[in-house]
Amino acid sequence: MGTVSSALGRRSVRIALAVLAAVVLLAAPLLLPAFANQTLVRIGVYAVAVLGLNIVMGYTGQVNLGQIFFVGLGAYVTAYGVNQGWNIVVVFIAACVSAGVVGLLVALAAARLGGLAIAMVTIALPIVGVPLAKRLDEFTGGSQGISARFSDAPEWSGLYNDQWQFYIVLVVTAAAFLLARSLVRGKYGRAFAVVKENEAVAASMGISPYRTKVLAFTIASIFGGASGFLYLAAVQYTSPETLSFGHSISLLAAMVIGGAGSIAGSLLGGAYYIFVPQITNAIDPNLTTLSQGAILLAVLFLLPGGLVSLPRALRRLGRRRSGRPTSGNPPKTAPAPHPVPEAALEGPDNKERQDRP
Amino acid sequence: MAASLSLKDVNLHFGGVKVLQDVSFDVEPGAIFGLVGPNGAGKTSLFNCISGHYRPSSGSITINGTEVLGSAPSRLARLGLARTFQHPALQLNATVLQNVLLGGHIRLPGGPVSWALRLPFTARAERAVRAEALELLKRAGLGWAADLPADELSHGLHKGVELWRALLSKPSLLLLDEPAAGLSHGEVEQLIATVRRIRAEQDITIIIVEHHMGLISALTDQVVVLDHGRKLMAGTAAEAQADPRVIEAYIGKDAADDAA
Repeated sequence: MGTVSSALGRRSVRIALAVLAAVVLLAAPLLLPAFANQTLVRIGVYAVAVLGLNIVMGYTGQVNLGQIFFVGLGAYVTAYGVNQGWNIVVVFIAACVSAGVVGLLVALAAARLGGLAIAMVTIALPIVGVPLAKRLDEFTGGSQGISARFSDAPEWSGLYNDQWQFYIVLVVTAAAFLLARSLVRGKYGRAFAVVKENEAVAASMGISPYRTKVLAFTIASIFGGASGFLYLAAVQYTSPETLSFGHSISLLAAMVIGGAGSIAGSLLGGAYYIFVPQITNAIDPNLTTLSQGAILLAVLFLLPGGLVSLPRALRRLGRRRSGRPTSGNPPKTAPAPHPVPEAALEGPDNKERQDRP
Repeated sequence: MAASLSLKDVNLHFGGVKVLQDVSFDVEPGAIFGLVGPNGAGKTSLFNCISGHYRPSSGSITINGTEVLGSAPSRLARLGLARTFQHPALQLNATVLQNVLLGGHIRLPGGPVSWALRLPFTARAERAVRAEALELLKRAGLGWAADLPADELSHGLHKGVELWRALLSKPSLLLLDEPAAGLSHGEVEQLIATVRRIRAEQDITIIIVEHHMGLISALTDQVVVLDHGRKLMAGTAAEAQADPRVIEAYIGKDAADDAA
C-alpha cells in the first residue's frame, strides 16, 4: 500500500510540476526583456535539432554528422513556402515532410552499409548541401540567401515580435519534446536501445535493425526540418552558411554535452549550443574554437553522461563523502535482502512432469 | 501451438572451412530436443542457422512446413522462434524488467506514430505486457530484481532473465544455447525444473545445445550428436551416452579403447 500511495504522490507532484512549468513558460515572454526572449527562442530552435540527433545517435547509436543539413532544408523550404504565400501550417508540414522524405531516402541507402559508413554518408550531406544551396539560386537566393517574414506578431495579439516568436517556438518545441518522450519510453525506445547495443539480440527479438535505424534516422530528419522552420521563425533569413558542416559538429557536441540518450539533455544541449559561443567570445574572440574544445573535454571528463547527469553525479559524490548510503538507495555492494540465487530460476509452484523415464 | 522443425542436408561453409556437412534431422512438435557434441562440433553454428543469424550454404530448414532458410532473424521471431545466447546478451544498464519487456516487442501493436501520440491502445498493450513480464519474474522468484539494473545480477540470474525475455514473446519454438554454462550445481537443478515447468504449462518445442550431459539426460526426449560438423548419431540421451562413436568423439579413440 505504501508504494501505491507514494506512486500516487509522485504522480500528483509530477502533474503539479508540469502545470507550473507550463505557467512559467507561458508567462515568461511577457516578463522578460526582448534579448532574453530571443535567446530562449534560439535555444528552442536548436534543442529540437539536438533532440532529433539524440534519437538517431544517443538512443539508436547511429553516428549522424549531417543533422544540420535537415535544419537547412527545413529553413529553405519554409522560406520558399512563405514567399509563395502558402498557409503557415502548410509551410510547417512541408518543412517537416521534405526533410523526412530526404532523410528516409538517405537512410534507406546508408543503413544498409552499417557501422561508421552511416557517418561517412551523413558527412556528405552538408558538404554537398552548401554548394547545392548556392547553385539553386532560383529557390534559395544563392550565396546571398533568402529572407522570409512570417513570424511578426499580428496586430490583434497586442504582442511584440519577440514574444510572438517565443510562443511559436514554444508550441513546436513542446510538441516535439512530448512526442519524443513518449516514443522513447515504450516499444520503440526499447527497440532503439537494443539496436544500439546488440543487433543480433535485436533481430532475435523480432526487431529488424535495418528498419529501426531507418526509422530513427527519418525521425531525426523530421525534427531537423521542424528545427529549420523554427530557425526561420526566429531569424527570418537563411543562407548556405546555415547548413555548413561546422554547425553539424557543434550540434553533435551539444547533444553529447547535454546528455546522449536523454530527452532533457537535448534541451540542455540546445542551451549549450547558444551559450557556449557567447561565453568563449567573451573570454577571447581569437581563441573561441580552442576554448570550446577545452569546455567539451572538461565536461566529458567530469560528466561522461553529459550535463543532464550532473544531479546524479552530485548525489553519488555526496554519498561517497558521507561514507554511508542514503536510505532507499542501496549501493551495489550491499547484500540484498532477497532470496538466494538458487531460487531464482524456478518459482514456488514446481509442477514437474514425472511421466517420462 | 508447438512448432515442428525439420532440417535437410544443411551445409555451412566459411570460405574453405566446412562447418556443417549434410546435417538432417526432424524435431516433433512439443519435444525437448538436445543438440550435443564436443567443442567445435558446430552446434552453435547450427543453432545460428536455425535462428537465421547464419545463412547456410545449402539445404533446407522448415518450421511447421514453411521454408525459412535465409530468412532474417527478425522474421523468424515473428514466426514464433525465440532464443537465448551462449553468453547472456542483456542490456546491462537497463533494468531487469526492461530487459524482459524487450521480448514483448512483437506482441505490441501499433507503429511509431501511435506510440509517439501515446494512443490509448498502445498504453493498454504496454500495461498488459508489463504485468505479464512482472508475473513471469515473480513466479521465477526474481520479482525483487525487476527494477534493478541488470548488471547488478549474477551470471546465473542473467541466464534466467534471458530465458524469461525469450518466453515473453510467447514462442512456439525455443532455442536454448548452453543454458547451463557457468551455472552452479544448484542452479542447474533449478534450470531443469524450470524447463520442465515451461514445457508442462506451454505448448512449446524446445531445442537445447548443451555440454552438461546431466541436463541433457534429465530433459531431452531425443538428441542428435554432432562431431566435426557431421551428424554422428540420433537417439535418446541414454543411447547417445552408450554409443562408442560418441565416447570416441568426446575423449578420443585411444582413451575410448582404454576405457573398454
